[in-house]
Amino acid sequence: MGEAPQPLRVVVLGGGTAGWMTAAGIAKLLPGIASVALVESEEIGIVGVGEATLPHIRGFVEKLGIDEAAFMKATHATYKLGIDFRDFGRIGESYIHPFGSFGEEVQGVGFHHWWLELARHGLAREIGDYSLAVAAAKANRFRPPATGDGLASTYGYAYQFDATLFGPFMRDFAREVGVERHEGRVVSVERDAQSGDVVALVLADGRRIMGDLFVDCSGFRSILLGQELGEAWEDWTHWLPCDRAAAMPCTHATPDLRPYTTATAMPAGWRWQIPLQHRMGNGYVFSSAHLSEEQACEAIIAAAEGTPLADPRILKFRPGRRARSWSHNVIGVGLASGFLEPLESTSIYLAQMAITYLIELFPVGGTIDPRDRDEFNRLVDMEYDRVRDFLILHYHATTRDDSEFWNHVRTMQVPDSLAGKLELWRKAARIEKYSDGLFYDASWIAVYLGQGMLPEAHDPRTAMIAPDALARATERLRMAVTGEVATMPGHRDFLMREAARLAEAA
Amino acid sequence: MSAAREPLRRVAVVGGGPVGILAAIALRRALPGCEVVVVGTPASPAAFADTSPTALPFTNKLHDRLGLAEIDVVREAGGSYRLVTRYAGWGGAGQAGTLAYGEVLDPALKTAFARDWGRVRLPGEGASAAGSLAEALAEQGRFAPPPPGELTPISAVDYALRWHPAAYRALLIRHAEALGVGYVQGTLDRVEMGSGEDVAAIGLAGQGMIAADLFLDCSGPQASLLAAHPAFAFTDWSASLPTRHIYRAPPAAPVLALEDRLTLTEAGWVSEVAGRDGVHRMLGTPAPLPVETVTALLGAAPNAVIALTPGRAAAPWLGNVIALGDAAARFEPLGPYHLDLAHRQLALLLEMLPGRAITSHERAEYNRRSVLMMEGVHELLALHFAGIAAQRVFGARELPGRVGEVIDQFLRRGRIQFREEAPLLSQEQFALLVALGWSPGLPPVALCAGAADEAHARSVFANDVRAALAFAPPYAQWLAQAVSSAPAG
Repeated sequence: MGEAPQPLRVVVLGGGTAGWMTAAGIAKLLPGIASVALVESEEIGIVGVGEATLPHIRGFVEKLGIDEAAFMKATHATYKLGIDFRDFGRIGESYIHPFGSFGEEVQGVGFHHWWLELARHGLAREIGDYSLAVAAAKANRFRPPATGDGLASTYGYAYQFDATLFGPFMRDFAREVGVERHEGRVVSVERDAQSGDVVALVLADGRRIMGDLFVDCSGFRSILLGQELGEAWEDWTHWLPCDRAAAMPCTHATPDLRPYTTATAMPAGWRWQIPLQHRMGNGYVFSSAHLSEEQACEAIIAAAEGTPLADPRILKFRPGRRARSWSHNVIGVGLASGFLEPLESTSIYLAQMAITYLIELFPVGGTIDPRDRDEFNRLVDMEYDRVRDFLILHYHATTRDDSEFWNHVRTMQVPDSLAGKLELWRKAARIEKYSDGLFYDASWIAVYLGQGMLPEAHDPRTAMIAPDALARATERLRMAVTGEVATMPGHRDFLMREAARLAEAA
Repeated sequence: MSAAREPLRRVAVVGGGPVGILAAIALRRALPGCEVVVVGTPASPAAFADTSPTALPFTNKLHDRLGLAEIDVVREAGGSYRLVTRYAGWGGAGQAGTLAYGEVLDPALKTAFARDWGRVRLPGEGASAAGSLAEALAEQGRFAPPPPGELTPISAVDYALRWHPAAYRALLIRHAEALGVGYVQGTLDRVEMGSGEDVAAIGLAGQGMIAADLFLDCSGPQASLLAAHPAFAFTDWSASLPTRHIYRAPPAAPVLALEDRLTLTEAGWVSEVAGRDGVHRMLGTPAPLPVETVTALLGAAPNAVIALTPGRAAAPWLGNVIALGDAAARFEPLGPYHLDLAHRQLALLLEMLPGRAITSHERAEYNRRSVLMMEGVHELLALHFAGIAAQRVFGARELPGRVGEVIDQFLRRGRIQFREEAPLLSQEQFALLVALGWSPGLPPVALCAGAADEAHARSVFANDVRAALAFAPPYAQWLAQAVSSAPAG
């Protein structure tokens, strides 16, 4: 082996979720290659969005060698099988977008085509009845998926946790793996006169934190990437008008613990309910152009099922992404790089994705190759843009005309990249295929069908089987799903089985 | 309410080679009510997919799905197995490497992102990660196809099938006949357009017209139907793919081997595919060579000389005409990518099977993916000619698409970019790059792995090899027994 390169000095600016995830990831996975310092200020609060996650978070936790039970205990985590969307397509209708599939492909034809054919004959039940993840979620049951390729392996899971505890948990972990923490507010940024690279952060007390590579996790202020380097911001408000959230925890109103997040459409946005071990997280994500902050706070208080545990707090955000998330020697991770509202719980995923690519393309030895920077930006842009289109679909696929907000999103012109996908679905019930990035066929199908966007036509092969034979076959599948769910423990029961994953009573 | 689309009533497949016949089988099975007729146009020696004695592992899965049993290919079409391809000379004289199939990958971890979190490559592990089990088996001459649905020490080993091309075609014809696929022999001499961009009927010289809802062009590189379409356009690959002449030798003495070879010589490349009917050899060169030189390199006088202008149809689906395989893309037979491409395009057509009325959006999506497949092959082939040794023989060429980035990321980081619709899995592409003489850099994470991790990985691998060799029977013995035993049922 060659000589070990001099460790690269990485400075992470910002002690929120993204900041500590970045610091922990780099320090743990690149020992000897990078030394990590993190600058944060207690004067500055953290946004702390992202109480619900995607299954990818499990990879992050495992990769860092963190024990799942310890992690769940520290963050008051519960299990999550998907998201229940209510009133999106039409008031009174709901569907679950699961971390799992619907039915199975038969004779090379996707299950949803067979389901559409059954529906035409009036013989279909809800498509969620043919999904183990959906059926288990509805029954408030949970068990980790089986390995292999049977029915019991057709889903994944994530966590619902307290975002304000996840950051500190990652901080403790990061400190253990050698991340140096500097308390202080950045008052100026020193740059190399020739290259324009950032050289040091100057703190209010005069300390200079020198570094070779700077990761901007300063949230929306984007102190380095946005303010210092002036990296342009692509604004997506036109498509995703929600720019505020009113968040408020409350007590659990029922003994059951939902293994899923609930997203309920509201007149000027939507609200979340995220069950944690000892409380329920609530929040109203809304468009400030359509609703005042006071009105949103009143609405979330009125909507909470349990007893409020705090006053609502307002979070402000704006959807969009920096034109480049890596510029000079500064990489934006989290909100400093881009933001997509939490409708599909993608915030932590997007930070994790950027950290992953940064580690993969890490400038070992110190010299940043522009080709690596371009590659990072290409990948990050692709991920953001794909999630963006999927989120827009949730607003656009609606018949709601009960408020100005819904009239806007229903009638707005969507990005071309989404318009093509919608037409392909409408005309032929097909999904544009990609294997990189987030959200595959099952996710798109869940939203299309769940929000009442039925295609005009489906696969010709489905008409070649007699409807009653088709109905019998799908009924057998549904019975298998029901039977499997019956063997699963309740979500709360499963969670309680191991004391190691339970938080101290709040 | 969504309705099932009206199914195709009649499909005409132009081209009676294995690509056309398998396409006819696939459509007939998918739509038993649809009349499928194969138009057997004169075969071109440049139809590399149709004349191919082998494919890639994808074809085994497609065969299986279309009712073509692997054991029947072995018994009735001279079938044999390839575990590895040996590359020699691509990285300079004396350099050699091996490409095996498969990828040790949890199917749940599909994305590049998840892949990285799922598996870390350790220093020194490199190309041997996926390939070596197969290589060990090939070297020891031990193999039998792993029993399906059972976890065995060789289950992770993927393989390709070879066959006798004429016997393979005959086997496909028997299947097509049993399914009621029609057949007409003739030469296409006119195309009658219908409404819009659709073809209404095709005419055969001295015979009548054949009308259909959908036409598949499997006629080989001349693309006799698609190229006659008014909207046809050709995307030229000459600037990046340098092979202009292919010399083919008649099959030489049979060889029983689990490996094939691709060798770079001073005059061009030589491809050798071992078969029970004989070794199939081809030579590819940038310029014509004297027949003595060709004969020396091939070990026999060539029985076919093929001139090549590489490129692809700009859009392989125009109106109601879809070109598959050689009719959609022309390139050098440097590895079994022709038939693999044709079969992946056929699988895409089955996935997106249209109704009688075709919509422009499904055509656009099909073309997007089919073009990704073709450009994937284009870039993969260009990798072969990007090295100094190949450039000495073939001249320096421009690197198409992302080839420059692929090589750069590999050299500096040992990183394989994820690519949609790629012909090889990432681990396979990693192994190919090594086999072509490129030396992978280490990913940052791997730089941090300790010697203990490496030693552990090596000892796990050594155990896997021992278990695989103990489990797999001698290949020759197994094959002899499989061929001689009476067909089941």
